[in-house]
Amino acid sequence: MNDRGAVGELDRFRRSLDDWLDAEATALAPTFVGAGDLDQQMTQLGKVKQLCFDAGWMRAGWPERVGGLGGTTLARAYLGEALTARDLVEPGLYSMTEVLAPTMIDYADPDLAAAMVPALLRGDETWCQGFSEPNTGSNLAALACRAERSESGWRVTGQKVWTSLAQYADRCVLLTRTGSVESAHRGITALFVDMDSPGITVRPIGTMHGSPEFSELFLDDVVVPYSRTLGEEGGGWAVAMDLLPYERSTSLWHRAAFLHRRLTELVDAAPPGALDPSRLGEVTQLLYAFRARSRATQHRMADGDRLGPETSIDKVLLATAEQAVFDLVADALAPEVTVGDDPVSARWRSEYLYSRAASIYGGSAEIQRNIIARRLLDLGHDR
Amino acid sequence: MDADDIDMFERGLRDVTGRTTGAALDAELDELGWDDALDDDEQSAVSLLFGLQGRAGATSSALSRLMTHALGLPGSSAEDVMTVLPAIGVTTPPGTLDGDRLRVDGLSPAGLADQASALVVASVGHGATTACRVATADLELRPVVGVDPDLGLLRVIGDVDGTGRRVDLPTGAWDAGIALGCLATGHELVGASRAMLDLACDHARERIQFDRPIASFQAVRHRLAEALVAVAMAEAMLDAAWLDPGPVSAAMAKSVAGHQARTASRHCQQVLAGIGFTVEHPFHRYVRRTLVLDSLFGTSASLATRLGNSIIDEGRLPPLLPL
Repeated sequence: MNDRGAVGELDRFRRSLDDWLDAEATALAPTFVGAGDLDQQMTQLGKVKQLCFDAGWMRAGWPERVGGLGGTTLARAYLGEALTARDLVEPGLYSMTEVLAPTMIDYADPDLAAAMVPALLRGDETWCQGFSEPNTGSNLAALACRAERSESGWRVTGQKVWTSLAQYADRCVLLTRTGSVESAHRGITALFVDMDSPGITVRPIGTMHGSPEFSELFLDDVVVPYSRTLGEEGGGWAVAMDLLPYERSTSLWHRAAFLHRRLTELVDAAPPGALDPSRLGEVTQLLYAFRARSRATQHRMADGDRLGPETSIDKVLLATAEQAVFDLVADALAPEVTVGDDPVSARWRSEYLYSRAASIYGGSAEIQRNIIARRLLDLGHDR
Repeated sequence: MDADDIDMFERGLRDVTGRTTGAALDAELDELGWDDALDDDEQSAVSLLFGLQGRAGATSSALSRLMTHALGLPGSSAEDVMTVLPAIGVTTPPGTLDGDRLRVDGLSPAGLADQASALVVASVGHGATTACRVATADLELRPVVGVDPDLGLLRVIGDVDGTGRRVDLPTGAWDAGIALGCLATGHELVGASRAMLDLACDHARERIQFDRPIASFQAVRHRLAEALVAVAMAEAMLDAAWLDPGPVSAAMAKSVAGHQARTASRHCQQVLAGIGFTVEHPFHRYVRRTLVLDSLFGTSASLATRLGNSIIDEGRLPPLLPL
C-alpha cells in the first residue's frame, strides 16, 4: 500500500512527536475545562500551532517552498490525530489548515504562497473559505458574488454565508463571479483576500450547538490586487474542485481520532447498564470502518494519488459514524446531555448538537450521494 | 507474489470462477495451484478467490481447505484435507468429546463427500482444542437445501470413536482458523454485494419509465450510492483487518461485511423491483448466498453484540490500527 520509506519515516515521526507531546504536556494544555467557548478554543489553537511549528512538527509534510520540511504527508495526518486524541485542539478548527494551505500551494503565485502559508501553519493567522452564498448552497456553480476588473485591481461586491471562522480570519479564499451569470462554473475566479480590506463586514451567526463558528460575510466594492488571483481568471471552479477533496481527507482522519476519543470516554462515563451492547458494537464497527476508509485515503494521498470524487464516500461514512456515536451518547448519558450544567455535560451536549450538522456541512449527504451516483457509479445525469 | 504474479493469478481465478462451480471449480483451483498460493501469499489467495467466487455466485471447497491451512497441522496439507466448519451461526468447534466418543455437528462444502476422511476439531475445555481425523464413511453427510440450494452445503453429523488419530492443537489455532474463515466469507460477501450492485446499476440504466432511464431519478440514484458506500465500508474493514490480523479485527470485518451486504441487497432489490423478485433474473441467487454467508461464523448482528459486550466487560475499545 505504501512504500517502506514513508512508513518508516512516519514511525520515527510518531515516536518523537509522542515523546515531545508528553514532555510539553503542561505548556500545551488548555487553560479551561470542557469544550471552552470559541474564543478560548481559538486562543488554544493558536498556542498549540505556534508551539508545534516552532518545534518543527507543524512543518513536517509541507513543501519546503512554503516553510515546510518536506517528507511524507502522513506526518500531517498523524500530528492532527495526536493533537485531537489528546484533546489539545478542536479538530474542526485545526483542520482548516489542511483544507486551505494545499489550495494556496497549488494555485497561488509561488512568492505569494511562500509569504503567506507559514503564517497559517504557525497559527499567526487564521484563514477562511468564502464559497457558499445565501442563494448558492449545494449549487455552487450558481454563485453571484461579483468581481469586476478596474485599474486598481478586482472590485468585489457580494455576500457569502457559512464562512467558518470569518470573524477571526486574516485572509479569505474567495470564489467570485467574473463571467456572465449564464457562464455557470466557467465564469468563476478564486481570489485571496485580506480580511482587513475596506468594504468587508463580518456578522457571526448563532448556532444550535452554541458556538458561532461561522459568519455572514458582506463585501462592498472591496479592492483585491490582480496578484491575489488564485489560478486562472475563470478557473475558480478547478480551484474549488481541487479543494473539496481536501475537506474530505486529512480533516476527516482527524475527526476519526476525535470520535474515537469520545467513544472511549463514553464507555468510561456510561453508568452500568446504560449502554446497549448491540448498539455499542454496531457503532464501534461503523467508527472503525470509517477510520479504515479514511486511513486508506491518507495513504493514497501520501503515495501521490490525486484525490477526487471517491472521497465523497469518506464524507458519508463520517456523517454516519459521527451521528451514530452521538446518538449513543444522547441515550447512555441522557441526564448529562439534557439537564447537566457542568462543563463536561455542556461539552457532550454541544458536541451532540454539532453532530447533527455532519450530514449537512461540506456538501450535504444528498450532494455526496449525487456525486457518488454520477461520478463513481456512472449513472449519467440526474435529469 | 509480486504485482505481475497477482495480476496473472487474478485473471486465472476470474476465468475459472466465471465458468465453473462446485467440484469442477475445485479441480480448476488445484490446477491453478491455489493451495500453494495460500502458503505463499495468504492475503492475495484468500481475498482474490473469495471475492471472485462471491461475485460469480460460484461455490467451492476452498473455505474448508482454508481452515486446514490455518490450523497448521503437520502432514495435513490444505489440498487433501477438509476441515469441518462450525454449525450455522456459531464459531465453536463442530466436535465435542464425550469420553471415548466424538460427537460431530457441523457444516461442509459438498466436496467432502469425495474425500476419504475429514478433520474434525473438538474443544477439550478451557479453550483447548484437538483435531481428529475421521473417516468420511463414518459420518452422516446430509445435503442442506435451505435458502440457498446452489451452495451445496452438507450438514456433517456423527457419533464416532474419538480415540483414533488425534492431534492437540496449539492455543489459539482454532480461533486463527475462524479468523481466516471470517476474512474469506467477508470477501465473498463483498463480491456478492458488488455483483448485486452491478445488476442493479445495469437495470437502472436500461429500464425506461416516464420516458427516461430510472437511473435519472434521485431516489434510485441515492439507493445505489448507499449500496456503494456499504460495499466500500466492508472493503475498507477487510483491508484493515489484513494489516492487523487477529480474531477481533477479523470478526469486526466479517460483521461489517455481512451487515453491509444485507444493506446493499436491500437497496439493490428495491431498484430491481419486480424483475429482481423473479427467478428469471439472477439477483435472487445473491440474496440467498448473502443470507447464508452472513450466518456462517456468526451473523453480523450477533458478532456486533459480542463485540459490544466485550467492550463493556473490558472497559475499552478494540485496539486501533495505527496510521
